[in-house]
Amino acid sequence: MSESNQNILEMEGISKAFPGVQALDSVNFTLRKGEIHCLVGENGAGKSTLIKVLTGVDRPEAGRMILDGKEIHTRSPQHAQTLGISTVYQEINLCPNLTVAENILLGREPQRFKSIDWAKMNADAVEILKRSLDVDIDVTKPLGIYTVAIQQMVAIARALDIASAKILILDEPTSSLDEHEVQQLFKVMRKLKENGVGIIFITHFIGQVYEISDKTTVLRNGKLIGTFDTASLPRFELIAKMIGRSLDDLDEMSKIKLESSKHIRTEALLKAKGLGHSGAISPFDLELHSGEVVGLAGLLGSGRTEIANLLFGIDKPDTGSITFAGDEVTDYSPLGSIKRGVGLCPEDRKAEGVVDDLTVRENIILAIQANNGWFKFLSVQEQYDIADKYIELLQIATPSPDQPVGNLSGGNQQKVILARWLATNPHLLILDEPTRGIDVGTKAEIQKLVLSLADEGKACVFISSELEEVLRTSHRIVVLREREKVAEFSGEVDENTIIHAIAGSEA
Amino acid sequence: MRNQKKSSFAWRNIIESRLFFPLIALFLILLFDFIFIPGFFTIENRDGNLYGSLIDIFRNGSTVMLLAIGMTLVIATAGVDLSVGAVMAIAASMAGILMNPSALRNEVFFVTDPTYTFQPLWVVIGAALIVSLICGVWNGVLVAYMRIQPMVATLILMIAGRGIAQLITNGLRVQITYRPYAFLGQGWIILPFSLYIVAFVYAGTWLLTRKTAIGMFIESVGINFRSSFFSGIDEKKIKLLVYTFCGLCAGIAGLVASSNIRTSDANSIGLMIELDAILAVVIGGGSMAGGRFSLLASMIGALVMQAITQSMYAVGVPAFALQAIKAVVVVFVILLFSEQVRSFIRGISAQKKEV
Amino acid sequence: MWQRVNEFISNNRKFIPIFSTAVLALAAYGIGAYFFVGMRNPQVFFNLFRNSSWLLISGIGSTLVILTGGIDLSVSGVVALTTVASAVLLREGWNAWGVILLMLAMGMTLGAIMGSFIVYLKVQPFIATLAGMWFARGMCFFISDDAVTIDDRLFRILGKTKILIPGLTEYAAKQGNPAPYLSIPVVVAFILLIVAIYITQFTRFGRTVYAIGGNEGRNEQSARLMGLRVNRTKLLVYTFNGFCSALAGLSLALFVYSGHGLYAPGFELEVIASVVMGGTMLTGGSGYVVGTLFGVMVLAVTQALIQFIGSLSSWWTKIVIGVLTLIFIGVQTGLATRKDDRKMAQDPQELEAEKIRRRKQALVWGGFVILVLLAFIFIPKIMGGDGTETAEVVACEVPPYREEEAASLIADGAAIAYNRTAGPQCVDELFAIYPDGRIIGNDGVNKVEKQLPPVDVELLLATISEDYGWFTDDIYSTYHNPCRQCFTHYIIASYDGQQKAVTAVDGGTDMPPGYGLTLAIIRSSLPEINPAQ
Repeated sequence: MSESNQNILEMEGISKAFPGVQALDSVNFTLRKGEIHCLVGENGAGKSTLIKVLTGVDRPEAGRMILDGKEIHTRSPQHAQTLGISTVYQEINLCPNLTVAENILLGREPQRFKSIDWAKMNADAVEILKRSLDVDIDVTKPLGIYTVAIQQMVAIARALDIASAKILILDEPTSSLDEHEVQQLFKVMRKLKENGVGIIFITHFIGQVYEISDKTTVLRNGKLIGTFDTASLPRFELIAKMIGRSLDDLDEMSKIKLESSKHIRTEALLKAKGLGHSGAISPFDLELHSGEVVGLAGLLGSGRTEIANLLFGIDKPDTGSITFAGDEVTDYSPLGSIKRGVGLCPEDRKAEGVVDDLTVRENIILAIQANNGWFKFLSVQEQYDIADKYIELLQIATPSPDQPVGNLSGGNQQKVILARWLATNPHLLILDEPTRGIDVGTKAEIQKLVLSLADEGKACVFISSELEEVLRTSHRIVVLREREKVAEFSGEVDENTIIHAIAGSEA
Repeated sequence: MRNQKKSSFAWRNIIESRLFFPLIALFLILLFDFIFIPGFFTIENRDGNLYGSLIDIFRNGSTVMLLAIGMTLVIATAGVDLSVGAVMAIAASMAGILMNPSALRNEVFFVTDPTYTFQPLWVVIGAALIVSLICGVWNGVLVAYMRIQPMVATLILMIAGRGIAQLITNGLRVQITYRPYAFLGQGWIILPFSLYIVAFVYAGTWLLTRKTAIGMFIESVGINFRSSFFSGIDEKKIKLLVYTFCGLCAGIAGLVASSNIRTSDANSIGLMIELDAILAVVIGGGSMAGGRFSLLASMIGALVMQAITQSMYAVGVPAFALQAIKAVVVVFVILLFSEQVRSFIRGISAQKKEV
Repeated sequence: MWQRVNEFISNNRKFIPIFSTAVLALAAYGIGAYFFVGMRNPQVFFNLFRNSSWLLISGIGSTLVILTGGIDLSVSGVVALTTVASAVLLREGWNAWGVILLMLAMGMTLGAIMGSFIVYLKVQPFIATLAGMWFARGMCFFISDDAVTIDDRLFRILGKTKILIPGLTEYAAKQGNPAPYLSIPVVVAFILLIVAIYITQFTRFGRTVYAIGGNEGRNEQSARLMGLRVNRTKLLVYTFNGFCSALAGLSLALFVYSGHGLYAPGFELEVIASVVMGGTMLTGGSGYVVGTLFGVMVLAVTQALIQFIGSLSSWWTKIVIGVLTLIFIGVQTGLATRKDDRKMAQDPQELEAEKIRRRKQALVWGGFVILVLLAFIFIPKIMGGDGTETAEVVACEVPPYREEEAASLIADGAAIAYNRTAGPQCVDELFAIYPDGRIIGNDGVNKVEKQLPPVDVELLLATISEDYGWFTDDIYSTYHNPCRQCFTHYIIASYDGQQKAVTAVDGGTDMPPGYGLTLAIIRSSLPEINPAQ
């Protein structure tokens, strides 16, 4: 049997662009029958876009797809399903108010004389679950009472039952599962593998990649870094490929960094002791100093955003405390943080940052105004002055300050949000993925900006998936792995050391 | 270019201004009146006061205009207040009973003296407004703090409120004869007095929303409350404020309405008027999903509704047919503002603005 | 012990809202029967259904709409339109069965039109059905401004037929009471209920309805992704509700034997309250049609209780219903599986503790409801309900107006003739006011006379005519079946060469305000016919 007969799926030269960003750049992807293939990469790498192209949500500008020897053009997820490509998303797309049996058989319920035969439906559901997944649960209970793990099983069962699936795509299925449930899922996956189903498994848990997959494909910034045999790829190398080991010239930046490190205060501005939030981040200690940039390094899901949210008061901690400028923090809320002089430029600019129908000017002064309260209104002249200042400073591309922010490109929106927090003149500024979706030139500018903020005496926390950025900008680096702080290094540390810390292996 | 705060005169600015659609609608209706109804635009001057069909539009529309002001703010937070009609009735009942408490003794006596009132005017108005504020706070607490859906939460007061209004007047219609009170709805100082009330409330609201940060916060919360939360805005307080304010506007409207018909009728005052108010806001371009608002546009929307009513009367259409016509207008406006049309327009302007 | 109760509730948690509503309805009735002898007559129980058959019919249709996460505000308009249209068509001599079929078709068409707006033009259900309601009510007046009576033979049969209940006939005969009966609309309502239960539980269409609603709108997206025909289902649901609204309208017409555009004001709110109390969440996706039956019963029992208490007027009903709806929503929110549960799923013990806490909370709410109900019964009694608790069950047969007598009084020189009937004591009083100040009155048994200064009568007439507009179009006749305590009024006024007779019934929001004012000042001048009562 030749190689090509074993391939259930071949994607060749897939390219897809969105306004302002090249999401996929000539990517190739091959999946064999009965193969578990992991797709990894940080946010913005192009994983979800690749899947969207495969399942027909988006149409590629270039490239073609061949399924089981025949070329295909998928039009929609339903269409993809009929071709044998089933997807189970992280957000369970089922109806939690209906029973398990109903969810599996919705739309195809067995009937007797034109009315639903509940007994048969329940029996069928039990059989399907047992046969394809070896899972045994009460199918007459509403889906919503079950844990996410079980719900996923049900989703998988439905997906498999509808059309004889050739390919099963699992998009971040383990994010809400505990160890035991993960093993259950893996058991199911292995059974499917035996039956010849090709599985694409997207995850950011490196351990799981090694545990379950045969092959691993790494994407980064829309480009294919490579497809590897999982067993023969050392963990360290995998992570290096994901978050980058570049040979860029670091000289200029390290000079700036060296200069600014002289201004770091010894007395800590913020002390977090045993700060933790169950389910989000294990208790950790952290000290932040004025004039210092602390970088948080780690993979997606390691707890970086959770730390940011705790420090800014979005979430209340379950354990531990924060001391800010000597006083213990009692009001955990965004407004409280702003009043203390803390700012957070959030990770998800669409859902947590931008107020898209408001103008650029309004978005920029929003936090300042929140701090002032209802009645101390910034005069229109003041608003324009502030807005103009930051439009100039950050080179925000907009025809006028009165443009609704929603009309701006993603990168410029990010700059507006950054401007908002810079305008509050905080003592501590937390930046969660501030350079995501921004062009290379501006990325460098922002990194320089962060260092200059430290120079002015501010404390900064810098979070990024791009390790080189973190290295360039930080005086100190904290490493996180699987929701736990595992190490802390000085900013002059070697990149490999960090990658090893993230990987959990020895250098 | 950044120094040009007021962009140069361009057609696009006019078309995209929120006032455009409602003004056009109003213009069309007035045009229709001008052509088909002789004397519609005549304004008489009697003893220094102006009268005429045109004036009547403003006068009769003042209740809906008042409601529309409060409703605009509520809808801007992606909410809705169905109880305004009931709150009108409660306020009117409160006022009525304080001027003529005979109903509480199960009597209805015939008051001939227009200077008689049981309580002084300021007590009457004050009590009515306080009661309507309480209603507003009730709604606000239900929506903002107990997180009940606005439609459901205000539905409760809509149902129970009529009962409460009747409770206050002991189920009877209270006759209102006190002249100074009647002045609210029927008085004239060159222009109808109710117009001045509307202008005053509008001015006050405009100051409150545009000269403080409140207006911006309301819009921000309506557009994206999570981002607003991240920026330090307390969504709960904002929502409590808008519902309380809407209750107050409803109270004022109730006073004007009851003064107009000289009775506090818990059953009929403000019946179904909440729907008119919501429609006024929608005609004024307000989206029920929340966000940007314009008080002026909503008031023009209320005028549009009233102008239609008035014109139909003048043409001779019987009162009842009005409802059917209103429905047609609603449909037309909704289609005009529907998502498809909106995204079409946005698509055009976006293409030109994107940098 | 808590464990076992908890487990039982766990296994049957979906039925809790229905159980609580049913228990509430029956308990309320039970409590009422304990205190009011009259309520022990089974006919009173059956009258609950007779008096709310249209509410039940419309409630069933609306339940389906709400299950999809939508809402239908047009029901009251369609009901009113049905009453008017059928009344007018029957008056024109149309065949009764044809009228019925046509009305149902009309209802379905209106429902389909609104459904299309919602599904294809993406108009919010709230606004689309609101427009539908206005349109329907407006159409009523195109057809007829005044109330139109229904005099058709078939309609009379359909409405007045008493369906005796086997078994209870003998029991009642022993008690010396007339045999308890139901009406045909009630039977129709129950048949519809069974059909609806079948549809929702045993057809794919019904399951799609459930799949669309709930989960804050995300379910609809999931349903589409699962390949369900969401659009078609939504359209059908609104069409079905249009059918139910028309059927409810026919049911109402069979009760009051007339049609008018102002009927059923606020009906849509009663319907929504019934559905919500029946355990269906307004967000959709959960709830049972049978729950609506109990919700309707709660409303009907509340109304009955308030009538029996007597000293409270019917507007207390509105307050009570408002409060009950609030409490039910509170219970619903408490029992609903929230998103926080998922996070807590990591710690199963904590999740269980949270659930137990919420159930305790729900039971406390439920107890609170019972207390509120008891308060409504006790407090007025303490405050002095006088003897009306043993009010007779026998419904007052409203006598026809003494029109000829009144007309002859006017011809005789009276300025005002006023005939008042019904009311709690079921009276039939006729008064006449003469321009010279003389007032006479009789109720068929007693007579009374009074003398006023003639100038007072003159003032009265002037006020009625000029201030209230008696002779203008602002005052017109309205009529509907009176409630237990309501009076019906018939007034002829003759003044300045003009003469006009107008009828009205208490409790109608359709009564022109001028009429109410006229009534007030006329009655304030009249003497009591039987002051001892």
